Amino acid sequence: MRTSTFDTTRRNAARPARLALLGLILVGSVAINAQTPLRIAAAADLQPVLPALLDQFQQQTGIHAEATYQASAALTAQILNGAPFDIFLSADLGYPKRLIDSGVADTAGVVAANGFSDSSTPVTYAKGTLVLWTRKDSHWPTPSLETLRDPALQRLAIANPDRAPYGKAAMAALTTLKLADALKPKLVTAENISQTAQFAETGNADAGLISLTSAMTPHLTSIGSYFIIPKDLYPPIEQGAVLIMRSTQRQNAHKFLDFLLSAPVQRQLARSGLTPVRWPQ
Amino acid sequence: MNWIDWQAFALTLKLAAVTTAILLACAVPLAAWLVLSRSRLRPVVEALTGLPLILPPTVLGFYLLVLLGPRTGIGRAIAQVLGHPLAFSFAGLVVGSVLYSLPFAVQPLVAGFSAVDTALLDAARLLGAGPVRLVRTLLIPLAGRSLLTAAILSFLHTMGEFGVVLMLGGDIPGSTRTLSIVLYNQVESFDYAASNRTALVLLLLCLAALALVYARPRVLEGRSEGRNG
Repeated sequence: MRTSTFDTTRRNAARPARLALLGLILVGSVAINAQTPLRIAAAADLQPVLPALLDQFQQQTGIHAEATYQASAALTAQILNGAPFDIFLSADLGYPKRLIDSGVADTAGVVAANGFSDSSTPVTYAKGTLVLWTRKDSHWPTPSLETLRDPALQRLAIANPDRAPYGKAAMAALTTLKLADALKPKLVTAENISQTAQFAETGNADAGLISLTSAMTPHLTSIGSYFIIPKDLYPPIEQGAVLIMRSTQRQNAHKFLDFLLSAPVQRQLARSGLTPVRWPQ
Repeated sequence: MNWIDWQAFALTLKLAAVTTAILLACAVPLAAWLVLSRSRLRPVVEALTGLPLILPPTVLGFYLLVLLGPRTGIGRAIAQVLGHPLAFSFAGLVVGSVLYSLPFAVQPLVAGFSAVDTALLDAARLLGAGPVRLVRTLLIPLAGRSLLTAAILSFLHTMGEFGVVLMLGGDIPGSTRTLSIVLYNQVESFDYAASNRTALVLLLLCLAALALVYARPRVLEGRSEGRNG
């Protein structure tokens, strides 16, 4: 056998290496045998919010969940192409609806905030808020709509309007303000709403139209300030969830959505920059 | 509707051309130094120039965005010179691309220069030729092929660059939206027909240029046989 030849020729050298390999395999198989985590595809605006909720969820239920954060459209493309997620938390209703229409997701058995259960509609779990954020050491320590009209504003970061719901909302707001054309040459487009915040946070952009969830993080509140874009300037950012049909952890996925829609968690969302859809304060 | 995004196409070629020109200008002296020098620093410098081969582009993107961003002294100096911060500008992409494609220019040149007969170099040195003359009259003429390889590889590698552009570019049409970003946008927007066209253009361009790299040596060898004999 090939192994024995190997052993006789290089026995001494091979032994520690084989032990190490065996160890690795053991550790690896233990890890595999441990329960596969619940995999959540989450819109980037949830990045500052979800990690704490996932810890809490694990404490309450013992279910370990892991999240991947990206622009909603990016996640949708991945799920359509077979990405192994169990739940999709979008930043809008359009992308999850698209997954339902493509037959890869549904919301069967999930009771929506209004008590209505319909397997072909995404379940709204929160509403997002768009803010204008600037650094305190910039020209606009207290931003306002006037900041957007200031000719001194050279670069305004927004999320990609074709892919990120917050980017779409940002473009809608700029269009309503009749600033879209004037600001077009000044726009820098980020991959998702987290990167938008990062562009403004690093000072590479003068200001950013970012999510309230990012603006309310301790770091961004310490170095910058935000102005809430009036809600009548853009269509509401209704954030919808769906269950991925391919998932083998349907029951746990349900538990997570129940958790997300529960009163304490909804109240927590309000403190992190999302508008709850159920049990508002 | 455009068959492909011609603006991005032109921008990509422009970025690749500018980067290649700058790279060749820097890489020839650098590679010559690496080959001719007996300095103890040589391995360190060689490692540094090879670093982008294995360095995640995100590392480079991070440094360019934060270290050279407007919140640091260097970043402010750059912004003073350019009139704007490095990020979200064509100049920023050129800086990123030059760093990122450096090994693709330097390594073929080092290989080519190393293949030049040391007896020739020693003879030239004995006759009093300085390093500049060695490079101009011996290394470049005798390693012309590696110069072409270096140029094509730097050009292609810059054309296909994605991570750095994604982190640093800000997706501005005409100044930072390159073809690889366009393709990414198209895939993410589910426009698979357009994605197909963009991908095909990139694929064919790369294939044709690489074929040039591989076809070239034999042609040259046929013409100048016994050159290294």
